[in-house]
Amino acid sequence: MKTASSTISFVLGNEMVNLDLDDTFGNTPITTVLNFLRSRPGFTGSKEGCAEGDCGACTVVLGSLSDGQIAYTAIDACLVFLPMLHGKQLLTVEHLGSSSDLHPVQSAMIKTDGSQCGYCTPGFVMSLLALYKNHNQPSKEVVEDALTGNLCRCTGYRSIAEAAALSCNNEGKDHFTENEDEIIGLLAHIHKAGIAINTDKHQYFRPASLSEALQIKKSTPEVLLINGATDIALRVTKLKEDLPAILDLGNVPELKAVGMDENGYYIGAGVALETVKEMVKERLPALYDMLAVFGSKQIRELATLGGNIGSASPIGDLPPVLMAYNAKIVLASSDGEREIPMRDFITGYRTTQRTELEIIKSITIPYPGEHIEVRSYKISKRKDLDISTVSGGFSIGRDKDGLVTEICLAYGGMAALTKRAARTEAALLGKAWNRKNIEAAMNLVDEDFEPISDARAQAEGRAVMARNLIMKFWTDTMR
Amino acid sequence: MTDPHESAPYHVTGEAIYIDDMQVRDQPLHGKVIYSPYAHAKILSYNLDKARKIDGVRAILSYVDIPGPNQMGPVIHDEVVLAEDEVIFIGQAIFLIAAENEEIAEAAARVISIEYEVLPHVVTIEQAIESGRLVQPQRRIENGDVSRAKNDATNILNGELKIGAQEQWYLETQVALAVPGEGDELKVYSSTQHPSETQALIAEVLDVPKMEVEVEIRRMGGAFGGKETQANHTAIWASLLARATGIPVKICLNRDDDQIMTGKRHRFFMKYEVGYDDDGMITYMDVEQNADAGSSTDLSMAILERAMMHVENAYYVPNIRVIGNAWFTNLPSNTAFRGFGGPQGMIVIEEIIDRIARILGKDAKQIRKLNFYGIEDRNETPYGQIVDNTLVHTLCDQLERTSEYEKRREAINTFNLGSEFIKRGLAMTPVKFGISFTTSFLNQAGALVHIYKDGTVLVNHGGTEMGQGLHTKIKMVAASELGLNPNKVKVNATSTAKVPNTSATAASSGADLNGMAVKNAMDKLKHRIAAAICEYFNKEGGGDSEPEHIEFRNGQILDTDNPKRKIDFGQAIMITYLKQVSLSATGYYRTPDIHFNRETGKGHPYFYFAYSMAVTEVEVDTLTGYYTNLRTDILHDVGNSLNTRLDIGQIEGGYVQGMGWCTTEECKWDDKGHLLNHSPDTYKIPNIQDIPKDFRVSLLEGHPNGAKTIKRSKAVGEPPLMAAFACWFAIKDAVSAIGNHAIEPEFSLPATNEVILLSAEKIRKKLKDSE
Repeated sequence: MKTASSTISFVLGNEMVNLDLDDTFGNTPITTVLNFLRSRPGFTGSKEGCAEGDCGACTVVLGSLSDGQIAYTAIDACLVFLPMLHGKQLLTVEHLGSSSDLHPVQSAMIKTDGSQCGYCTPGFVMSLLALYKNHNQPSKEVVEDALTGNLCRCTGYRSIAEAAALSCNNEGKDHFTENEDEIIGLLAHIHKAGIAINTDKHQYFRPASLSEALQIKKSTPEVLLINGATDIALRVTKLKEDLPAILDLGNVPELKAVGMDENGYYIGAGVALETVKEMVKERLPALYDMLAVFGSKQIRELATLGGNIGSASPIGDLPPVLMAYNAKIVLASSDGEREIPMRDFITGYRTTQRTELEIIKSITIPYPGEHIEVRSYKISKRKDLDISTVSGGFSIGRDKDGLVTEICLAYGGMAALTKRAARTEAALLGKAWNRKNIEAAMNLVDEDFEPISDARAQAEGRAVMARNLIMKFWTDTMR
Repeated sequence: MTDPHESAPYHVTGEAIYIDDMQVRDQPLHGKVIYSPYAHAKILSYNLDKARKIDGVRAILSYVDIPGPNQMGPVIHDEVVLAEDEVIFIGQAIFLIAAENEEIAEAAARVISIEYEVLPHVVTIEQAIESGRLVQPQRRIENGDVSRAKNDATNILNGELKIGAQEQWYLETQVALAVPGEGDELKVYSSTQHPSETQALIAEVLDVPKMEVEVEIRRMGGAFGGKETQANHTAIWASLLARATGIPVKICLNRDDDQIMTGKRHRFFMKYEVGYDDDGMITYMDVEQNADAGSSTDLSMAILERAMMHVENAYYVPNIRVIGNAWFTNLPSNTAFRGFGGPQGMIVIEEIIDRIARILGKDAKQIRKLNFYGIEDRNETPYGQIVDNTLVHTLCDQLERTSEYEKRREAINTFNLGSEFIKRGLAMTPVKFGISFTTSFLNQAGALVHIYKDGTVLVNHGGTEMGQGLHTKIKMVAASELGLNPNKVKVNATSTAKVPNTSATAASSGADLNGMAVKNAMDKLKHRIAAAICEYFNKEGGGDSEPEHIEFRNGQILDTDNPKRKIDFGQAIMITYLKQVSLSATGYYRTPDIHFNRETGKGHPYFYFAYSMAVTEVEVDTLTGYYTNLRTDILHDVGNSLNTRLDIGQIEGGYVQGMGWCTTEECKWDDKGHLLNHSPDTYKIPNIQDIPKDFRVSLLEGHPNGAKTIKRSKAVGEPPLMAAFACWFAIKDAVSAIGNHAIEPEFSLPATNEVILLSAEKIRKKLKDSE
């Protein structure tokens, strides 16, 4: 094992920054990148609009070394703790261009009147930069997806979408391209060992191998696991909590592994959801559909499969659809590994079968058999970048006579945990998959759940949504 | 006229400076507000000792530490700066902390203990009506004879409409930085739409003369009315802490606190009754408007007044009675938001017409056209002002054609017949919006223009920049008056030290009022320069140049009688200076001919009306409640546009903001008065996926403003928001298609997917029951 270091290193623009996160200079291991930037002279371009990853005013671009090249991704700086920057390049609006020397995305935003009050604009141009670097002449869908994580209250967005279309047509070439070799050189020199920060107030571990991670988990079981931290970060930014001990799994190569064979997918718990989304598009369309409306691109670049499952939120987007696919969770500890069906993994409100010594290693998702159809649904107040009011991951298998041989109706948002509609499933099992039986089954959904009223919907509304999704599922399978 | 926003290059590079970005001589202290967790409670005791002892805490203030009166109500003084022995809403400020950093301020906040006795509270309009606590006596506007019309009516329709609140959701939360100077001097950078009022209230609360307090704002990161009065609060709190510590103090509310502590667009509960003939012509209308004012007066009476004066929107109602009540509740005081009561007032008659159309089995557009204000007759408003030359017919005719309304209506009918769960809907709605502050004396503005010896021009005016592009328009007006390239003109940050006693930048009036004030200053300067230059021409070349024939164009000053006599502007300025002539002038403007008598409910409150027309087509999945805005066409009247690019931006942005109010933006409070949606996690403004898939906005051409406004332009800030009615009614139309338009959908605003689903569910149930 390489010796872990307490110093983090990253490239800010084209300048190497080495930070000792020992609490002495105001920066702690749980200082967010946004707060770090805004307290640094000359870096007030990135704005705080919400401190929860919902507005994108703090969007910055991360450059990561991947196969000898730099891959650029837009992320929300308010959700990222400083150690997560280790080994990466951080680009902010200050690096993009100045009013006397504009980047193409910036000139386009002026041409199309993409700014009014200007407060969201630095975030938008950084999302546009990531788009510019990754897509040439992007489609409308790609543009909208790239900008879903940025809120603007003034323009009505049309002008901003137009700026994307106007600028993203030079194969990503810009002044960053010219500097890339130099940056690659700088990044290559940053040590690859794990990070271990121990101060009076904070312990922060970012191990570089699974064995290291499991060792830490064994010696400090109470450590808080993060893998992307798009949820946990809010405890710091919104609840002003101090998180004294963190095990950050974001740099464990074993958790980034992916694979597929004739049976299905194997996806490491640390794989970013944006990567998962692109990977499963053809073979697991219901998972893709759910990922397409999961958070925003900025969030999906950070958030991971393991994080979403591990947090076991009753309104988590992925558990229902993974239950429908009958996915399996692989848990690892220093004593070995075990596999648990997703359908049994969650045991209560934010509780799971994972023990204190374990971490989620991977998820295996089998391809559904030819007689099985899987769909996912998410009802939220706003279609995109919202949290489920009610969600559903449904699968149905039918025999050659059209009778239901297997069924899983997993719901989010209807109980304290992701839960299957047991009575409804039982009523449909063995029956013909027809409208009459569906209409009868819809009424049973009410018996399966006692939903709550909250900020997102009333209990009555949730009940209607849950019923309707059965009909929606049926109509979709009949198409 | 196509200059981009003057700050656009700074916006896109992050160079634009907002208050939270500012550096001043000392590192500012971090200001934090401790607020009430109860909607209504008595403060029995509290202890600040532990918090005060924390190293790095510089001040903790309660109401006893306020030098002047504990009052910050903008119109009526019924709003305390810091609670005394009672709190009346969740989010009401009680204590202020100044600490060396945020962490210390949070630590101090955690050890402050307050003991409360919880008292009964009012958190719904229904409870408020029952409690009977009106903000001011009931208001009434009446025209014609409602009682007689009621007796004569062929058909009568009653109803109620619940209209939800809306959070302004400016991207930049409330923020102020107060910097103490020498003696009583205080300079306050405040994200405010109303620097003069912010200045006045700070001076009063600190008990210092107004001359000691300067309020400055370069730009706001959005405001939308939310910073018209309630920016004062943050500015006053920061000023109190700065005065107490002698050190600059910044308060920047975090998003949750901003949403919890500040007021929103007023919720309304509307009751109505109308009479109409068999064609759908409205014969009378009797409306009761009930507004949720929140815990203090703030601007509620003016907002209610605008709601009442927009009750008929673009339609002539011969007999009308509007009763307006603003009720106190134990919520943050509701406040200005783009439209200022207009949207709530107007949507009721649109709802009425929509219902009449369904009853008569007609397309609502036909009923709308039938009831539009007339050109020659049928043109008197309920408050007695005549609607001159309404543009509503022109807009309607053009948009019907360009949007291919009829063809699409047929296609939608066909589509709906073949689709059980996915339904499409279409609606066309008008906007007529009165332009002027209804409090007539507010319709005034000032400017201060300096011309420097190098021929560059610095313009100060009383308006504030919140993204709408006011400074860009002013810059263009100033440049065009002097015949200069706009790059020779700069518009300064707005400061009370430059232009005093200004009105809020509100009521869409920014360019109308300040543009004319700047023009007035320019007229004075041009007069002086022309005289000096005539003298110069005549002395140099002999002859008879006269000031009235001097023109300023293309960077030159010339004698139109003798075009050979010309001189560069810069050179002319130096000549004028050497002749010992002042190159600085103030400008002033007041809107002529407007008045309104609140006792009689009659007058001529609006200088003119601005119009808009919108057509929206949506597709609704009636199983999930999701809707897609397939296409929206807007034809909008801005008179002669001052800047077409900015105006289009206002229209698109206004529509999308209005769409949010009509659909996904929901403010819910629990029975204890807690706002449930206090962050973008649960409060959903539209994002890029929600906008019309096909969005066609155009400006009505060839119709300069009939009123004498700057360049014959029209105000554009608020009117487009109400174009979004078309979206709400299109969704309703789609839901109505479930019952083949024979069953009235139960709808409220916003039409969240929950409202849509429950409404669809009820229609299906009725259909089933009738089978």
